[in-house]
Amino acid sequence: MKHLLIPVLLVILVTVEASANFNLPPLPPREEFGNILIDRTSEANGQQPVNFSHWLHRTKFTCRVCHGELDFLMKRNATEITERGNRSGKFCGACHNGKIAFRHNGNCDKCHNGEVGYSNKRFDDFMLKTSLPMTMAGNGVNWSAGISSGAIKPQTYIKKKSQDMNFEKELLLEAEMSIIPPAIFPHKAHAAWLDCDNCHPDLFNIKKKGTHFSMAEIMKGNYCGVCHLSVAFPMDECKRCHPGMRE
Amino acid sequence: MKRIFVITVIILGFAGIAFSAGGVKKKKVLEQDYGNVVLDTNSLKAGVNPVLFEHWVHRKAFTCRVCHVDVGFSMKANEGGIRAADNMKGYYCGACHNGKSSFNGGEPLFAACSDKFDKDDMKRCLRCHSQEKAGQERETRREQREKAFRTFADNMPKERGGNGINWELAEENGTIKLIDYIEGLSTRRPPMTNQKDFTIGAKVEGVPEIIFSHKKHTVWNGCEVCHPDIFIGVKKGVEKYSMIDLFAGKYCGACHGKVAFPQSDCRRCHTKQV
Repeated sequence: MKHLLIPVLLVILVTVEASANFNLPPLPPREEFGNILIDRTSEANGQQPVNFSHWLHRTKFTCRVCHGELDFLMKRNATEITERGNRSGKFCGACHNGKIAFRHNGNCDKCHNGEVGYSNKRFDDFMLKTSLPMTMAGNGVNWSAGISSGAIKPQTYIKKKSQDMNFEKELLLEAEMSIIPPAIFPHKAHAAWLDCDNCHPDLFNIKKKGTHFSMAEIMKGNYCGVCHLSVAFPMDECKRCHPGMRE
Repeated sequence: MKRIFVITVIILGFAGIAFSAGGVKKKKVLEQDYGNVVLDTNSLKAGVNPVLFEHWVHRKAFTCRVCHVDVGFSMKANEGGIRAADNMKGYYCGACHNGKSSFNGGEPLFAACSDKFDKDDMKRCLRCHSQEKAGQERETRREQREKAFRTFADNMPKERGGNGINWELAEENGTIKLIDYIEGLSTRRPPMTNQKDFTIGAKVEGVPEIIFSHKKHTVWNGCEVCHPDIFIGVKKGVEKYSMIDLFAGKYCGACHGKVAFPQSDCRRCHTKQV
């Protein structure tokens, strides 16, 4: 009996590590992908949680505007958004001031409505008007292709100019298992939306070799998973990163 | 023997899971908190709250050199071992915060620390010893600090990251005037001629080269803040500075990322597209 213990432990260990790789979270309807309800203090203060729609905002602004210039963190309910802050031009208030976007007064329930699908009715309209290539998961459209084709022209900054590094190196990342074709990482497609510091050095240190970005970690929401689970195209689209993968 | 080997493999396997965590975004420091340092070498032991030191308050009027060379503050929090007795004798904070010294025609600066104090003096203590034990500040104090910062920062040239202030530009165009000499403390030396700006190549192809300017640095630092401790600088090209080291707080990272503009502002240094 005792001599079985070690093989059994090994099997458990391997299955624990492997099973974490392939449990993709269920996807919401495509018009709700990337939508979140923000409720850091809303309900505690007798207000409905705020619905926030990533797709709606990314048609007009790149990620770096909010997640860099405006200091929005990458985790729901972590950013200390307050009414007073908004009114003094911070966070949402940087644009929602009646000049760039609708203002605070009289518009409470445009945000505080607790409806995750509040912007759904605008989704089809937008998609009909804009010719974005279709994809199978996420919002069902290829946002990156939209930028390169000029179908959408999201702003890169509001007041403080972004970095524009023009770093276009494409990386080839070998997969853990030999049967999986390597992943490609295009800096160019990412730099269209993001500044260097959105990813470096917190998410990805810039050591040439050493850190392996395992699927298990990515699935937990680390590394690529910070965006590619919830906002950027989800990992159901294996081929977009691992182009050599068979269907 | 084989069993020991297998057990080691299993232990290493589990350790691998435990240590593989990474790739998480750190919380960004707010503009008014950037460069703030909590000092607690002796405070808690002496029964007072730790000191919250705000770099921005001081760098708007003084060069880095005055405090980090002439006064002798260490570049690492809590390394210096500042004591109340030192301050009272006119060392460290007490070099300026002595109840007498005044700068730019302002009021005399409040005196740091005292061995005798009454209820009215408590306010003075709390100006520096403001960090609550749990690491949290009192809400009112926090609001005051934020308001003070905003009032100042709104009139400064803007920048991405750090304090959101382009300090370099503010000094250059005269928005702030830095004091680099304190009577009875600093020693005047004939200034050195600045070396011309030079380029430092980047390791990764496609990343713009760095243009390093001694001129921009000496305004704040003189020579002594950086040489010879941080950069031995015997011969150009001998030492290699990797971003990994810099992010870990070595070389440029001694200031950039803590007080000076953060390293996430890539294009501020990597300016020369090749």
